[in-house]
Amino acid sequence: MDYSIDELITVLMAREVTNTDVMIVGVATPCVWSAFTLAKVTHAPNAIFHYIMGNTFVYEARRVSLLWLENTAISRCHRIHNSGECTLELLPHDTLTTIEFFRPAQIDQYGNTNNTCIGSWDNPKVRLPGAAGIPDFSGFYSRGQSLYVTRHDRRTFVPSEKLFFRSGVGYVNGQMPVAGGAGPKFIITDLAYLDFDEKTKKMRIKTRHPGVSIEEIQEKTGFELIVPNKVPETKPPTDHELKMLREKVDPLAIRRLEVLTGKERDEHLQYVIENEIKMEKRVMERI
Amino acid sequence: MSLKEAVSQYVEDGDLVGIGGLSFWRKPISAIREIIRQGKKNLGIVTFVGGLDVDLLAGANCINRVRASFVGMELFGLAPRYREAVESGKLKVIEETEASIALGLKAVYLRLPFMPLKGIIDTDILKVRDDIKEFVDPLKNERLVAVPPIKPDVAIIHVPYADEKGNGNIAGAVWIDDDLSKVAKKVIITCEKIVETEDIIRLPGKGQIPMQKVDAVVRVPFGAHPTSCYPFYTFDPIHIKNYMKINYDEYFNTFIKPENIGDYLEKVGGIKSILNIIT
Repeated sequence: MDYSIDELITVLMAREVTNTDVMIVGVATPCVWSAFTLAKVTHAPNAIFHYIMGNTFVYEARRVSLLWLENTAISRCHRIHNSGECTLELLPHDTLTTIEFFRPAQIDQYGNTNNTCIGSWDNPKVRLPGAAGIPDFSGFYSRGQSLYVTRHDRRTFVPSEKLFFRSGVGYVNGQMPVAGGAGPKFIITDLAYLDFDEKTKKMRIKTRHPGVSIEEIQEKTGFELIVPNKVPETKPPTDHELKMLREKVDPLAIRRLEVLTGKERDEHLQYVIENEIKMEKRVMERI
Repeated sequence: MSLKEAVSQYVEDGDLVGIGGLSFWRKPISAIREIIRQGKKNLGIVTFVGGLDVDLLAGANCINRVRASFVGMELFGLAPRYREAVESGKLKVIEETEASIALGLKAVYLRLPFMPLKGIIDTDILKVRDDIKEFVDPLKNERLVAVPPIKPDVAIIHVPYADEKGNGNIAGAVWIDDDLSKVAKKVIITCEKIVETEDIIRLPGKGQIPMQKVDAVVRVPFGAHPTSCYPFYTFDPIHIKNYMKINYDEYFNTFIKPENIGDYLEKVGGIKSILNIIT
């Protein structure tokens, strides 16, 4: 079956989830929510959702939604916490294995990230939203940090000296994070699956997506990537994964809002809003 | 007490104002509109995650500093007026993370001069915050960072249910609003429904906002619009989409000027808009 970039990225993220994970669904990341839901209904039936949008833990999988998110995150939860409890007590836990995907505006070869500003901090060209909880969680995760980028280019993949603000900590100067976690593990992009060399902690190409050359990946990266002798092709989405994603998990393709830009994005947002407003049932169906 | 009286009595120019909710979920927007109408100046904002609240206040030039871990309009884009205000140097950002805010509030009620934090070590936040310092853990000799207490002058929180004494129940996500109400010098809550105390104690979570801390309770149905108030309504996506494009003066004249919530709801599309968002 043919597939689009948002489908490929979502499926690759889903494959990272294990059956014992707590999956953190952040704010405004429908690709990630779709990926977790897909994992839950394919290979990880016991994984648990944690919604920032509710400070809640939820067992069951429901269809992804833009408008009716709280009905999934809250009305179906098992307990409500406050953010202090979630951030500080529960998530960087010793026995829970936690998976969360972060999408950086900039990333360097050591996996340090910036979501704070473009240009100098004092006089920014673009003020971005900010660090959010990324530094609070990411350095602690025992299974490491998971990252994704929907547009692999030199604006996002920058040399360390061009990272305008370090708002997320990777392997600073090739060192392990001070907080004790395993550090950045991999980055899923629209071109490749990248990981980090065990010794130097520098970014490396692990697999290239079907139809993408190593040259193209290097060309669109602002620093030199480590290229192993063998770079296999990424295993494309299976028919089953695509069918579940399209028909059950995210039929309105809300995830696509993370990939589209400009007019196309605006129209798709309008399409999602109109369809969700029309829904009679405002608690999403269970999958 | 009316919303007008509550804001005029408890919010002063220059105050650090704590705002409940998250980006466009359960934000006290009716109170924000009242602050703008009263022309408050030089306010500071502290909020866990800012969105429409911070953007409206930035557009109206009511604020000169923001403490938030994130300010954005989620899938609708970057916050336009916030961006403009920060990029032009009118608005100062005090960089925070979720934990630095959550712990900053806790430091106040624990009466501690700082709280230790590990996550933000090696971020550039330390370079732009003179009041955050790295130190050596006296017990284990490890690197740690001290973050200061955050004490808002006033907190404004929108809740679905409250009683007349000021017990506030948050049916959905609490985020940091309980701690915010505990440490602010004054607290205003706006609510969808005023119920008997006996009813508050039957609700899940009971009174997360404690009555002994609350100075004013104001009933404002749809007081969070166009943000959500679970379990009653979700955010108004059509209004927010429009907000991203509209010129600020036009927005002010049409949607902020009307004092009466009924007039405001007529402007945003009346009963049809309400039917779109109720759960």
